[in-house]
Amino acid sequence: MRRLLNRVLIAVIAVTALLSAHPVPAHHSFAMFDQSKVVTLQGTVKDFRWTNPHVFIQLLVKNDSGAEDEWSIEMTSPEHLVRVGWKPGTLKPGDKISINIHPMHDNVKGGQYLSGIGPDGQPLIGTPVPSQAK
Amino acid sequence: MNLPRPTRKTKPGLAVALLLLCVATAPHAGAATESTDLPDWSGQWENVGGTPDATGGFNQSLEQVLKTMEWSPPLNPTTRAKVDAMQAKERERLAAVARGENPADAVVACTFGYPGLMLDTPLMFEVLITPKETAIIFSSREIRHVYTDGRPHTPKDDLWPTPWGDSIGHWEGQTLVMDTIAVKDPFGPPDGGGAVSAFGDVEGFLTIGILTQQARYVERMRMIDPGHLEDQMTIIDPAHLTAPWHMKRIYERVVHVHRMVYEDCEGEDRNPIVNGKFTLAPPPSSK
Repeated sequence: MRRLLNRVLIAVIAVTALLSAHPVPAHHSFAMFDQSKVVTLQGTVKDFRWTNPHVFIQLLVKNDSGAEDEWSIEMTSPEHLVRVGWKPGTLKPGDKISINIHPMHDNVKGGQYLSGIGPDGQPLIGTPVPSQAK
Repeated sequence: MNLPRPTRKTKPGLAVALLLLCVATAPHAGAATESTDLPDWSGQWENVGGTPDATGGFNQSLEQVLKTMEWSPPLNPTTRAKVDAMQAKERERLAAVARGENPADAVVACTFGYPGLMLDTPLMFEVLITPKETAIIFSSREIRHVYTDGRPHTPKDDLWPTPWGDSIGHWEGQTLVMDTIAVKDPFGPPDGGGAVSAFGDVEGFLTIGILTQQARYVERMRMIDPGHLEDQMTIIDPAHLTAPWHMKRIYERVVHVHRMVYEDCEGEDRNPIVNGKFTLAPPPSSK
């Protein structure tokens, strides 16, 4: 399993590299995420930032003291998200969602999006549709 | 034209000779095909197995990816040893990255080009067919030009290796036969280093320096049903390969979107390096 995870990590890093940049000072990586951990966050969408090269969900999550922390959740690019059904309006401010992420290595409040449950209680899109001809 | 597939009894030299003979004698020296004879491959296409999910990763294991890729380059012993050594070095580096060490060394840049984006593209593309040229246009705005007007390859004196090489083609019925030479650093730099960022996916990791810039690529692309294109590629590189290397890719129509969406590879700095480590830098609100 560990070997598989490492291989998946290699792929993720590599794909991120491909989608990232020409040789310019723009940096893109998933190396800062702890691929061995999965954290579930329940919170309220503050903003859904539909931008290249990566889309972000800004999520307000209550901490142990009851105050809200703002988490930055990184996704892939708009070009990839639309191909699996996401739209700029898939999430809206105020939506209550639950998402699974790989957290940051350094405990900064951020992570890599894995999967989620939308405000309607249905799984958020993210799994590619099966091959099908139109 | 059916390209010969080498068997264990096939001598590499003979296979190469047969392949080159087939290419050389193909009926492509005449005028461009009439536009009414050409197929319609309009729409957006994506590589089966290369469809990303919302995480930025792929929807299948690397074992599946490798199987899909038909990954079995017939390297000669010298190249195999060199490649094995470079891959071992890369594995060590990646293992460190996976442990959270030296993350800033994980990704530097990406290099697009051929044949990676045809074999392993996570980007969607369109195929624009005209009588004299077919253009394969990727969402990153890279365009592969395949000239089908009967011209030969660019003369040697006017040719130098480039990321997409020099492609000419001709139509055999509804099949586009493409011939490509002069590809710069196919599958990444010949001495490794930054291979992970070569063009994406595991192929970028496994293909360090396996081909030379003298490699020749012959492709046969056709529509196998309204929802799928097939690309059969044969790579000929006697300097590194003991036999022609055959691969096949299937592309399927993109389901959820019916237009090209820009993949901004020059993008903003979302993961700046601070104190030697990657960090997150969300974009400002667009509201």
